[in-house]
Amino acid sequence: MKVLLMGHPNVGKSVFFNRLTGAKVTESNYPGTTIDYTEGWMRIMDKEVQVVDVPGTFSLDPKDKAEEVAVKMLRESKDAVIVCVIDSSKIERSLYLALEIMEEGYPMVIALNMWDIARDKNIQVDVEKLEGILGVPVLPTIAVSGEGMRELVSRIEEAKKGNIQMILKNAEGMENEADHR
Amino acid sequence: MKLTIDERWELIDRISRQTVAFGGYKHTLKDAIGDLTVKPLTGIPIALTVLYGFWSFFCSFAGFFTDGFMVKIFDDHWLPWLMEVFPDPDGWLFKIFVGEYGAESCFEAFGVLTSGLFVAVGVVLPAIVAFYLFLIVMEDTGYLPRLAVLIDTLLHKIGLHGFAVVPMILSLGCNVPGVTATRNLETEKQRFMMIALLSVFIPCGAQLGVMLELVPEYVGWIMIFLIMGMFVFGFILNKLIPGRAPEILMDVPPYRKPRWRNVGNKLWMRTSSFFTTAIPFVLLGVVLVNLMYLTGMMDRLATVFSPLLTGYFGVPEETVAPLVAGFLRKDLAIFQLASMEMTAGQLITSIVLISLYFPCIATFAMIIREGWSSGWKGVLKYLAGSLLVLGFVVFVWVGVLRIILMIMGVD
Repeated sequence: MKVLLMGHPNVGKSVFFNRLTGAKVTESNYPGTTIDYTEGWMRIMDKEVQVVDVPGTFSLDPKDKAEEVAVKMLRESKDAVIVCVIDSSKIERSLYLALEIMEEGYPMVIALNMWDIARDKNIQVDVEKLEGILGVPVLPTIAVSGEGMRELVSRIEEAKKGNIQMILKNAEGMENEADHR
Repeated sequence: MKLTIDERWELIDRISRQTVAFGGYKHTLKDAIGDLTVKPLTGIPIALTVLYGFWSFFCSFAGFFTDGFMVKIFDDHWLPWLMEVFPDPDGWLFKIFVGEYGAESCFEAFGVLTSGLFVAVGVVLPAIVAFYLFLIVMEDTGYLPRLAVLIDTLLHKIGLHGFAVVPMILSLGCNVPGVTATRNLETEKQRFMMIALLSVFIPCGAQLGVMLELVPEYVGWIMIFLIMGMFVFGFILNKLIPGRAPEILMDVPPYRKPRWRNVGNKLWMRTSSFFTTAIPFVLLGVVLVNLMYLTGMMDRLATVFSPLLTGYFGVPEETVAPLVAGFLRKDLAIFQLASMEMTAGQLITSIVLISLYFPCIATFAMIIREGWSSGWKGVLKYLAGSLLVLGFVVFVWVGVLRIILMIMGVD
C-alpha cells in the first residue's frame, strides 16, 4: 500500500508527513514550501506502508511546475490511498480537490487539519455528517501538536473509494430531510 | 463518474450548508497585526524595518563569531601550530595544505587546512547560521507571503509577481534552493527570468559572509548595485522574452508562533547540508587553485586574460585565480581577493565581477536539472539563455560600475 498526502498548499501536509514517518522535510508557514515529492515509510498494524509528501495543489489542473509534480504523482500511483489534508477553516474550497480526486476513483481518508484554527475562528464542522455524506472516513486533526493523528492512522485502512452518485444523493437527501424538519 | 466544474461547486455548496456553521468572529490582535503588515501605508515601513533588522542581525551575529572567536582560534593557534608540525615547508604538500610558509593569518596562507577551513568554518558557517536562523523565523511566522503581497506591484514591472520574493530570499542563503523554488512561478517565462536573474545577481549567504569580513564598509553599496542590476535587467528581459506574466491570487496564511523544535530542526538540516555539500567544494577549490599555481597554469591563464581583465574590467590580471575558484565556490573566490594588492575601486569591481559572473557549480547543476524536466530542449534553453544573459550583464553592468566609480572619483 502507498499513501499519498494531498491537499492545498500550506495546509500542513509536510507536518503530517514528518509526524507519520519521523522524517524531517521542511515545514514552513507559506504556500509552496514543498516543491518536490518526498517518500518515507510508516507502520500500520505491523505493515510497512510507503507515504509520499506531495506538493500542494489547488486542483488537478496544474497551474505551475510544483502542481504538475503533484498531479503527475497522483496519476502514476494508480493503487494509492489518498489522505486528503484539508484546512478546516476553509472547507468549501478544499472539498473541490477532494471531490476531483474521488471522481478519479482513488480510495480516500479526509483529515480536517488545523482544527484548532477553525475553532478559534468559531467555525463548527459536523464531522459525522460530513463523513455520512462523503462515505469516506473524515477525522479532525491538529498535525503540529499531533492531536488526532493516531485516530487518522488507525483508519487509513478503512479508506474507501468515493461514490460520487451516492454523495450527490446523500447531499440532496439529507438536505430535504433538513427542510422537512 | 465525473462532474463538471459547476456541478462540483453546487455539490460542495450543498454539503457545506449542512455541515459547516460559521459563528460570530471577533478580530484578534493577530488579525490586526496581519492587516498592518500587509497594507502598503504601514506595511512598507514595517517591511523595510524587518529587512533592515535581518541585515543587522546577519552582520552582527556573523561578525561576533568570526571576529570574536574564529579569527583568534585560526590565526593565533591553528595556523602557527600547523606551520610547526607540518613537515617539509618547501614541499608541494605543504604548499597545498598549509600554504605560504610564515604567513601570519589565514587570509594570506591559502592552504587547504588553513584558509580552506577558515573560510568554510570560520567565516561562512557563522554567516549561514545567522542567515537561516532569521529566515526560518520569517518562514514560520508567515511573514514571507506578506512581503510577497507588498512587493507584488514592483515585481510586476519586471514581469514577475510577488511570490518571486520567495526564490529571491531563499537565494540569499544559497542559490540552489532558490532555483528549485521557481517551480512555484506560473509561466515558463517567469521561471526562466527568475532563474537567470537570481543566479546572476543574487549573492549567496556564504559569499555575503566573506564580503562582510573583507570589505564591511562596501557590502551595503555592492548589494544595492546588484539589486538595482536585477531590476534593470529584469525590465529589459521582460520586454525581450515572449510569454505571459499573469496575475495570481495568493494565500496569506495567518501568523503563527514558530515552534522552536521545528526552527531547530530546520536550522540543523540546512547547516548540515552546508557541511556536506559546500565544504568539500571549498576545500577542493583550494587544492585546484594551488595546483594551478604550482604548475604555472594560473600565470599562463592570467597572461591570456590580461587584456580583458585589466583592459576592460580594470582589475589586476591575478584576479583570474579567484575567477577560476568562483566556478566551484563564490565565497572562496571573494576570499582570495583578501591577499591581493588592489585599490579600493579594483576591489569593489572584482567583487562585483565575481558576483555576477558564472553561478557556482552547484547552482549550475541545479539549473540543468530544472531544465531537464522539459527534456534536452529545456536544458539547452535554460543554459544557453542564462549564459547569454550572464555574458551581457557582466559586460554592461561592470562597465556601468566602472563609470560610476570614475565619476565618484574612487581610485
